[in-house]
Amino acid sequence: MPKTLHLPPADPILVARALTKRFPGVLALDHVDVEFQEREIHAILGQNGAGKTTLMNILFGLVQPDEGALFLRGQQVEFRSPHDALAHGIGMVHQTRRLVSAHTVLENIVLGHPRVRGFLNLRSVAPEVEGLCNKYGFTVDLAARVWQLPEGERQWVEILKALYRGAQVLILDEPTSALTPPEVKTLLAGLQALVRDQGVTILLVTHKLPIVLAASHRVTVLRSGKVVARVRTGEATEEMLVRHMIGRDIVARTGKRSIEAGPPLLQVDHLSVVNDKGQPALQDVSFSLREGEILGVAGVTGNGQDELAQVLAGLRDAVSGTVRFKDRDVTRLSPLARWRMGMGYVPAERVEVASIAAFSLVENTALNYHFDPAFARRGLLDDAGLEQLTRNIISCYEVKTPTARTRAQHLSGGNLQKLILGRVLSRKPRLLIAHLPTQGLDVEAAAFVRAALLDAKADGAAILLISEDLDEILSLADWVAPIYEGRFGGVLPRAEADIETIGAMMAGLSAKEVRAQ
Amino acid sequence: MRLGRYDVTLEPRTTRPAFYSALTAVGAILLALALASVLFLSAQTPLLDAYRAIFSYAFFNPNGLLATIHRSIYLLLCTYAFLVPLRAGLWNIGLPGQVYAGGIAAFAIPFVFRTQESQTLSLPPVFLILLMVASAAAAGAVVGGFAGVLRARFQVNEILVTMMLNSILFWLVAYMIKEGGPFMSPRGEGESFALPPPLHAPLLWGVPFTAVLALGAAVFLDILFAKTPLGYRIRAFGQNPAAARYGGIIPLALSLFVFLLGGGFAGLAGYHYFAALPGVYKISGNYGYFGDLSFYGIISALIARGSSLGAVPIAVLFAGLSLGARFAQGQLRLPFGVDYALLGLLMMTFVASHVLYQFRVAWRRVPSPTLRPAPTQLPPG
Amino acid sequence: MWELLARSLEASTIFLFAALGELINQRAGVLNVGLEGLMLFGGTAAFITAQATGSYPLGFLAGLAIGGLLGLAHGFFSITLRGDQVVSGMGLWILSFGLTTYLGNPHTGPLGLARITNFFGLSPFFVLGVVLVGITWFLLFRTTQGLAIRSVGENPAAAEASGISVTAVRYACVLCGGVLAGLSGAAYTLSYNPVWNYNFLMGWGFVSLALVFFSMWNPWILLAGASLFGIMWQLSLSPELVLPGVLSRYVWRMVPFAITIPILSVISTPWFRRRWGLARPEALGRPYEKS
Repeated sequence: MPKTLHLPPADPILVARALTKRFPGVLALDHVDVEFQEREIHAILGQNGAGKTTLMNILFGLVQPDEGALFLRGQQVEFRSPHDALAHGIGMVHQTRRLVSAHTVLENIVLGHPRVRGFLNLRSVAPEVEGLCNKYGFTVDLAARVWQLPEGERQWVEILKALYRGAQVLILDEPTSALTPPEVKTLLAGLQALVRDQGVTILLVTHKLPIVLAASHRVTVLRSGKVVARVRTGEATEEMLVRHMIGRDIVARTGKRSIEAGPPLLQVDHLSVVNDKGQPALQDVSFSLREGEILGVAGVTGNGQDELAQVLAGLRDAVSGTVRFKDRDVTRLSPLARWRMGMGYVPAERVEVASIAAFSLVENTALNYHFDPAFARRGLLDDAGLEQLTRNIISCYEVKTPTARTRAQHLSGGNLQKLILGRVLSRKPRLLIAHLPTQGLDVEAAAFVRAALLDAKADGAAILLISEDLDEILSLADWVAPIYEGRFGGVLPRAEADIETIGAMMAGLSAKEVRAQ
Repeated sequence: MRLGRYDVTLEPRTTRPAFYSALTAVGAILLALALASVLFLSAQTPLLDAYRAIFSYAFFNPNGLLATIHRSIYLLLCTYAFLVPLRAGLWNIGLPGQVYAGGIAAFAIPFVFRTQESQTLSLPPVFLILLMVASAAAAGAVVGGFAGVLRARFQVNEILVTMMLNSILFWLVAYMIKEGGPFMSPRGEGESFALPPPLHAPLLWGVPFTAVLALGAAVFLDILFAKTPLGYRIRAFGQNPAAARYGGIIPLALSLFVFLLGGGFAGLAGYHYFAALPGVYKISGNYGYFGDLSFYGIISALIARGSSLGAVPIAVLFAGLSLGARFAQGQLRLPFGVDYALLGLLMMTFVASHVLYQFRVAWRRVPSPTLRPAPTQLPPG
Repeated sequence: MWELLARSLEASTIFLFAALGELINQRAGVLNVGLEGLMLFGGTAAFITAQATGSYPLGFLAGLAIGGLLGLAHGFFSITLRGDQVVSGMGLWILSFGLTTYLGNPHTGPLGLARITNFFGLSPFFVLGVVLVGITWFLLFRTTQGLAIRSVGENPAAAEASGISVTAVRYACVLCGGVLAGLSGAAYTLSYNPVWNYNFLMGWGFVSLALVFFSMWNPWILLAGASLFGIMWQLSLSPELVLPGVLSRYVWRMVPFAITIPILSVISTPWFRRRWGLARPEALGRPYEKS
């Protein structure tokens, strides 16, 4: 926990009063009052869907509030677009990278800057930007193309961009979500230096308690669009914050360590896969999985997890290596054949890939059943049977929906994920590939999904769990495999896997190097 | 957009009552007719006379009605040629090319079997007619399928490929029937040879049997899309190709299939217009007009929003309108191309109606800025 | 032979203007497949106006204006309404195809004005085309406005977060594209082939669209491609200059279109696609939603 900040009680630099925002069907912010002091790191804590991002978007001018007002240094201000916010010294680094990956770092930093007008004389601007980098202590190659940079460095480019625009208030939306533990440490240290040495005010939006406790001076907790707590971090505890975030206590269920697993179901040998750009995404990956086991692949997105899930599901070709399932070589088998053989796949992108937004829930169920002879009689789809199945899924998985014929686009993220999981699990797959199954879900839905995975495991299914959430992996998995740049650092039994070891391996150290430390 | 004290925006509709499709479709058609009235007015034609002439010829005149039915069959087949790939999210604008291919293939049969002269028929006519139909459908399917394969295998934009094929086949027909080409009529008038009477399509109450094909297609497609796994896969692919792939659907096979089927329908349309129409039975010198007419199929499919049964009344209506407009143009001395103008107007109103279908206008009162005092200390949280 | 070349270059400017405009709006992320429609309408409006007033400048002005107007309509549907850009483009094409056939029919036939003179044997439009290519290149790659345009086409969210109005940039580019398409049509009907006939473009607009893809969104490659196509086109019209007596002239007319197809396919092979994929504006064709 940081030392409490001893500052003379200053006037708040940025204040919001009674901010209210409605979207079709949902009240995102309900008369929110917030206040930020100069030179502090202020955390905005809340779970997914609490309204944090909407609040920040209003502060940055991306969204206009329906009611309420903003005050900067005591003067009322109105931001009609990010242009206004930037002009007033407010910068934002978004959760999803807002950089043009095809352009260079320098081009991204100067993009849209009011002073750089007319002729794009990058050469004259470069020394200025370089000076800025040195001042803040960042080293990054200005001529590199953004797509060549690792995630941590991209984040710094965005921060630099905001600072180059003269941001005095820096909003960071979930900045640690795509970073390895060492990168997180670097980021937090850098932020503290910025506040201390350069007088920047930082608003840190996150749902991760450790970050809040480690880095912030004060915390504002949001729940369901309302402010429910304002505390000094020094006076807060984890339990207190959790209770504010979700309104009650949640007990997480952990997996039973079953050693009596069955015969090997999935055998992967020396698998190498290339990504869409032609670069190696998976390199020489080998592991095996038995019935009733959960293997947790831990890593930050972008290290080959997408390609791993896709190649196992048959949606991507392998360059070399083999995949054996139920003692059959399935390396070249089509996705359809794999479904038929008993593989199940829950993709990370639930709206773009795992479901069809404009189709009804019944029609979405058909996505995994259109080939099933039990549901196709004499060439026609058994619509009644599918509807019945969908209703079962809806009730078993507590999916909140008006009817089974409602379109999938009307479901909230958590309910859609439960539906998808229920649909896949209803096929009773022997092997389940679950890719980021709880991403973006609120605590309740996430707990439900994890419990469902454990039930499947108890039924004897083998599960490959690909996740960024170390806590999730450590609580569910029997084996842990950290992944970094397409390689498994090792496949460790749960007993040997602790956060430091795994964290280090996620950042690229091998098991030996970690042990040597 | 701000109007006074109100903020007006367009918001996507979340729910759509079932009759909305029909409502917006009717709206689009009526609006197009209303706009067409402007054309009539500018040509100093009394509106009521113009519309009376159009409708009475198209639907109440025995010759006109028959012509309308013939054209409806043609348009309906063209509609299905566009509609099937549309449900899969693909644009088959190669209708003219596939129609021409169908025509060429149909006429290739008598050419190959040397039955241009009516005397020598080496095979029973029924057999030859069936062969003509089959080869027309096959030719259209091949041309369409070619675009489908390129799209699926190489991700080549199917709009570009089909447009290129349209031009290629247009000139191919010209080559075949003009200036000494193989299909040229013995009288050398820049058109193809005429079909010998035994090879004329059999008529049912004055209508070629292709009507049965067209209506059969309507029923077939309706069942296909609503009730079969294959139809489901096509619709899923059209909505979300990535999700369809995830669900086990093979993009190459599906793209190929819809273009084969669509092209096949267009080829049949070509057979119908060039080989089955009483009084025609040849590829005439102005074959390009019929190719252009096939674009009405695009509009019909779009306005019907992909419903194969819904397309039937729409195709009939457009057939009647375009025929009636041509007739009225002659009778009322309107400039040439009223049917083309109508085509254009319909497209415009369709797009407008599509907007209304997707969005609704939302009025919201702009809140007056809150009159709050300068910020004071917040109560401790 | 020089005559043939000059004529080819004149033909190539028709492709060039339209494709250049489309390149600009595609760089900003807006796809307009109805390019042919804008060219048809621009050309028809130019022809009718020039014939009625006897003035070339007024004719060109009409063509530019109509092109710009249709471009803005496409922009309204694609940007403000966030509709499907292919639907809008197709709609504009069929709309133009239908309406120009009707509106232009009374004017079928020659323009009846004195021909526009050539600059030392070269069409003035070709010179204009090269100049425009240079301006476009400079704009896109050497100015901040160009950086903004390219960023909007790659990642509109990033541009918006940098204070750039994605809507304004896209509208400006779509207007440019429309005006240039109108110019292309006007150049056709007023200079290259001043005889009005229905559907006088016969598919050229789509060839221009293909050229944009071929050019990998680089104005200079576009110039080269358009020139090559112009030569090929002119040859197909008068094959007897190169290969007398071989094949019917109808078969020759097919050739430019037939060549496009294998080129399009080659462009899509993995080797090519990797180079090409890197040049394609990532947000092309996708409606932008402010979030």
